[in-house]
Amino acid sequence: MSTKLTRREILGRTASGFGMAALAGVLEGAETDLLAPKPAPLPTKVKSVIYLHMHGGVSHVDTFDPKPALTKFSGKPLSAELAKVIKTSFIHDPSKAILRGSPWEFRPGGKSGLPVSDLFPHLREVADDLVVLRGCYSDQFDHAPAIYLRHTGHQLPGRPCLGSWITYGLGTENHNLPAFVVMSDGSTKSGPPAYGAGFLPAVYQGTVFRGGESPILYLKNPDGVSEQSQRATLDFINQIGRIQQRTRPDDSTLDARIASYELAARMQSAAPDAVDIAKETEATKNLYGIGEEHTDDFGRKCLLARRLVERGVRFIELISGTNVGQDWDEAHFDLTGSHARMTKKTDKPIAGLLKDLKSRGMLDSTLLVWGGEFGRTPLSQGDNGRDHHPYGFCSWMAGGGIQGGRALGSTDEFGVQPVEMPVDAHDLNATILRLMGIDHLKLTYLYQGRDMRLTDVKGLGEFSAKLLA
Amino acid sequence: MIKKIGPVSCGLFLAAGMAAAEGTDAAVAILQQKCLACHGDVSGMSGLKVTSRENLLRGGSRGPAVVPGKSVDSLLFKAVAGSGEVLRMPPTGGGLPANEVATLKAWIDSGANWSNASTVAMNQWWAFKRVARQVGSANSIDAFIDRKLKSSEIPASPQADRLTLLKRASYDLLGLPPGKAQIDEFLGDQSPQAWEKAIDRLLASPRYGEKWGRHWLDLARYGDTAGFEQDPYLLIAWRYRDYVIKSFNDDKPYDRFAKEQIAGDELFPDDAEARSGTGFYRVGPNRDMLFKVEDVNLVEKRTDMVDTTTSVFLGLTVGCARCHDHKFDPIPQKDYYRLQAIFQPAVADRVFQEYNKGRQYDLAETSRSFRLYQMGEQAARINAEYADPLKAKKLAALPAEAVTALQTAEEKRTLDQARLALDNAPKIRVSQEEIDALMSDEDKAAIASISKRLLRIFTGYGPPPMSPAIIDIGRDAPKTFIAIRGNPEAHGEEVQPGFLTALGGGDVPEPPLHAQTTYRRKALAEWIANPDNPLFARVMVNRIWQFHFGSGLMRTASDFGGRAGLPSHPEMLDWLAAEFAEKKWSVKSMHKLIMMSAAYQRSANPTAAARAQDPGNGLLSHFNRRRLAAEEIRDASLQVTGELNLKMGGVPAVPPLTREEMFGMIGNPADNWSVSPDPAEHARRTIYTLQRRTFQQPMAQAFDGPDGVMSCPQRNESTTAPQSLALLNGGFTMDRAKALAQAIKTPAEAWERVYGRAPSAEEHAVAQALLDRQITLTGSRAAAMAEIVRGLLNTNEFLYVD
Repeated sequence: MSTKLTRREILGRTASGFGMAALAGVLEGAETDLLAPKPAPLPTKVKSVIYLHMHGGVSHVDTFDPKPALTKFSGKPLSAELAKVIKTSFIHDPSKAILRGSPWEFRPGGKSGLPVSDLFPHLREVADDLVVLRGCYSDQFDHAPAIYLRHTGHQLPGRPCLGSWITYGLGTENHNLPAFVVMSDGSTKSGPPAYGAGFLPAVYQGTVFRGGESPILYLKNPDGVSEQSQRATLDFINQIGRIQQRTRPDDSTLDARIASYELAARMQSAAPDAVDIAKETEATKNLYGIGEEHTDDFGRKCLLARRLVERGVRFIELISGTNVGQDWDEAHFDLTGSHARMTKKTDKPIAGLLKDLKSRGMLDSTLLVWGGEFGRTPLSQGDNGRDHHPYGFCSWMAGGGIQGGRALGSTDEFGVQPVEMPVDAHDLNATILRLMGIDHLKLTYLYQGRDMRLTDVKGLGEFSAKLLA
Repeated sequence: MIKKIGPVSCGLFLAAGMAAAEGTDAAVAILQQKCLACHGDVSGMSGLKVTSRENLLRGGSRGPAVVPGKSVDSLLFKAVAGSGEVLRMPPTGGGLPANEVATLKAWIDSGANWSNASTVAMNQWWAFKRVARQVGSANSIDAFIDRKLKSSEIPASPQADRLTLLKRASYDLLGLPPGKAQIDEFLGDQSPQAWEKAIDRLLASPRYGEKWGRHWLDLARYGDTAGFEQDPYLLIAWRYRDYVIKSFNDDKPYDRFAKEQIAGDELFPDDAEARSGTGFYRVGPNRDMLFKVEDVNLVEKRTDMVDTTTSVFLGLTVGCARCHDHKFDPIPQKDYYRLQAIFQPAVADRVFQEYNKGRQYDLAETSRSFRLYQMGEQAARINAEYADPLKAKKLAALPAEAVTALQTAEEKRTLDQARLALDNAPKIRVSQEEIDALMSDEDKAAIASISKRLLRIFTGYGPPPMSPAIIDIGRDAPKTFIAIRGNPEAHGEEVQPGFLTALGGGDVPEPPLHAQTTYRRKALAEWIANPDNPLFARVMVNRIWQFHFGSGLMRTASDFGGRAGLPSHPEMLDWLAAEFAEKKWSVKSMHKLIMMSAAYQRSANPTAAARAQDPGNGLLSHFNRRRLAAEEIRDASLQVTGELNLKMGGVPAVPPLTREEMFGMIGNPADNWSVSPDPAEHARRTIYTLQRRTFQQPMAQAFDGPDGVMSCPQRNESTTAPQSLALLNGGFTMDRAKALAQAIKTPAEAWERVYGRAPSAEEHAVAQALLDRQITLTGSRAAAMAEIVRGLLNTNEFLYVD
């Protein structure tokens, strides 16, 4: 895969620092393979990221951030001072709404005793691998801008997302599969710009895997075209291409185009193989909840994520929830129902993924990041709901050599705002980059006169050292 | 003469800068490129200004920056060398490259001379100087290009063959390949005027506006939906699309075109077409559906207006100055907010294309709505007569606690009641079928009558005869403040509307007392679309050049600032800019001027010398081969199969997509990808198809289509496996292949249609072999022929313009 960039353009765009160094090797060759694997500039063992996005927003005070005071003052209003912080979507007046304690019990998990609510009994078993980040916050309380912010560092669509930046920085280990794969439940509130490459070349955009044996769009031969017919036509394209190239000698663009058909053909066999889980053992499938009513779908996605990591795919994003079906955001009107449903679908598969990666010795080289675009209000919306709450929420990370069984940062007694170690999208993204061996200040791309960065001018709260310590 | 300052990023000097970049000039150039942003006359951080020798000797709060003759004692050197004694400078980007540090060291050691010739401040940047016309022969393009080729001793490639030329011209101007008649006409015309006549014919085609309008829509970040949550429709955005296409087809003078878009309402208040140009500010993304944060939405809107205006018309990235003084260009933050003040009073408006029709539509719409309310109520009443008893019956069958839960108001339910209500709500739902089964004939007739009236109201229901536009809220505008660090809630100094200091500056005059608007945009339009504005003409001729040659004389078409460097042919750029003004801003004249040059007509194959010495083809010894854009692939495929529908304008066409193709689209495809009922609509040119801002059609997504979020001056041209999969296996190609296979009898005809030429003997043999093989495999000649077409639509000769 290549794009038509001249040497000068590449030098110009990766004006300084890391991009330049990473591409130096590429420039030796006649072609510019934008996905060629590049060594991480800083020492790291991490090779891949599995990014678990809980679409719609997960309630922090009902999952990983226990708030006894919230239970104690359940039914009472929030102080006027704190109520002022909160801007809400559906709750009409935060100063008149009432606090609501969590309907779920928190219990200590693992040897560390990290508290996890009854919504995640399976994740509680692997609590010793998790670092919960309780001081997360954002300044966007509508879904789409909040999703864009978390993914791309900007509340407007059109910027490259984390997965694209990482693929740009590190390339891929396996050209026969996309470097950056997305699996979702379908429609989201942000649409594809959340996993788009923005101003980076299109090779860095997330490729959506659909369900089934032909996961990539247009992977199958057209309807009614047999394998032999397809091969004959491909050979024809090649023959005609070679004949016509004689009058257009030494054009690497045309070579690249011909090569892209070969690559497409290899993808046609590599992708179905990657998604074929028939050879996985029953024990493995059971670990992910495959075959069980609620967990089958997300379990398959999690198992695929492991299989893709094994095959050298750099970045895999799994999105749980959709705005045209079951979603975390149904917590607006039905906290208990929505969170029970969504955790039922995802808890066992994610815990299974962690266990599976660990037992295969892949956890240190795979980083898992879990979270939503924001949390939910400690205030009750109606009598069984919680509204959007970007002012304080939690995420967790696991794998990648980080020291689990801990919570970092905290919110106030009601879970409204961070008190210790606040973490915004830029800090989190800078940290993910650093764990991948990339300094977020040095991964740049020259666009519209600026050396653009994932973290823009922010990300100074990068905290990888705390995770590894 | 242009000051030769090479951009020094990466330690690479562009060719023009290299020669002069030594000694004093080089050192001063480094200071200007790397230090001036923070240590300029205005910024002067830590008291240090690097704008003259005196200022360097005086230094800043830490003392003198330069001790002439002694680099080791000079703070400037210590800072750039990263000695550790002072903070390393520049603070970002990993410091200066070694060669620049060495240049500065040598310069200080040799006395730090500062000749008058090199005291250029950044507002002397070449692009900010007035256009200087250097030469004036009939077609100077070749003179400029050949001079450089000669001095580099690179021979130019010969002229391309005539079919290649016609294809090139046709794709460049129309975005479509030439048909058989056009090819025969051109190849049959042996007169010396044949080429010129061909260009004239192409320029007169209405297809021209569809191709060049698309370039402009890329710049105007055009979309038919708003983006963000739900990605709602911008119902009449396409009127602006049609305005742009018409403007290009009419060869509307570019200064007029620019003025209409920036301030058509204030400059030409009685001209509906001109006023609809301000739709430029209405077709970008907007966050209006996020109604809880109107304040943020407003700020984003203003930001988009300023950023898009300056990048499109001036080739400047002023966006950086939203939060702080621009680091690389002389654009202080204050200037940014002076520009923003110009847009402060702008609000949404509608332009009636014809006043009477617009008014009538408004009246009819009001009456239509009123009648709809009544019909809605009547239908609901009839339904309720049956639904209510049915529901009561179902409710009675439920346990008592469920009934209580359902009858309790939602906000008063206990947790248990909420669950009960949720579980039981579906059990008391009444379906339309249940109602219909019970309905009396009389009521059925009443419903049928409502249906009839509804149909009567909506048969032929069309879009309003109006365009989206902007206008000022009145003569007095809200105040504008500098937003400290870009935070709109942190008010800094109040600013007055004005122009960029680096381009001469100036204030917007007070509007006359009788004015209905502020006249701010009028002043801006007149300041921008002006021969005295150094960037206005340069930026546009460079764009025109770019879309002919694949890259501009300035490679960064929307960035002429300090980071962007010098154009490859500075004198030619100025000559073209002057010529553009001279030709009364006629874009079509510029096409002709460029296309009549020998440079444009060269073969796309480089000579051996060019390949070795100028692989980037900066000297233009040959033509730059280019891949078709996403729209061209789709449109050309439809054209060669004879299916293309050339209808112009109107409501966006929505071609069918498969479920897999629509995967991930926001919302329900039935609403958001509502397929056009008339199949002929599905074969329209791509520019007329629905452009959802959060969902690109598969072809556009694979082939680097614009996302319609930020102004896009140049598309990427990538080559990826997903592209090959899309072309090879996508239903679109297969459908085209089948359509053409129906219309032809021999492989030679396929060659004629797809390539516009006959196959060579060798090609013919290969095609015949495939035909035979596919007949054996499929048992059908039509299916076999379709495979030939599918193959040809996947070949480089079809996908690339030579």
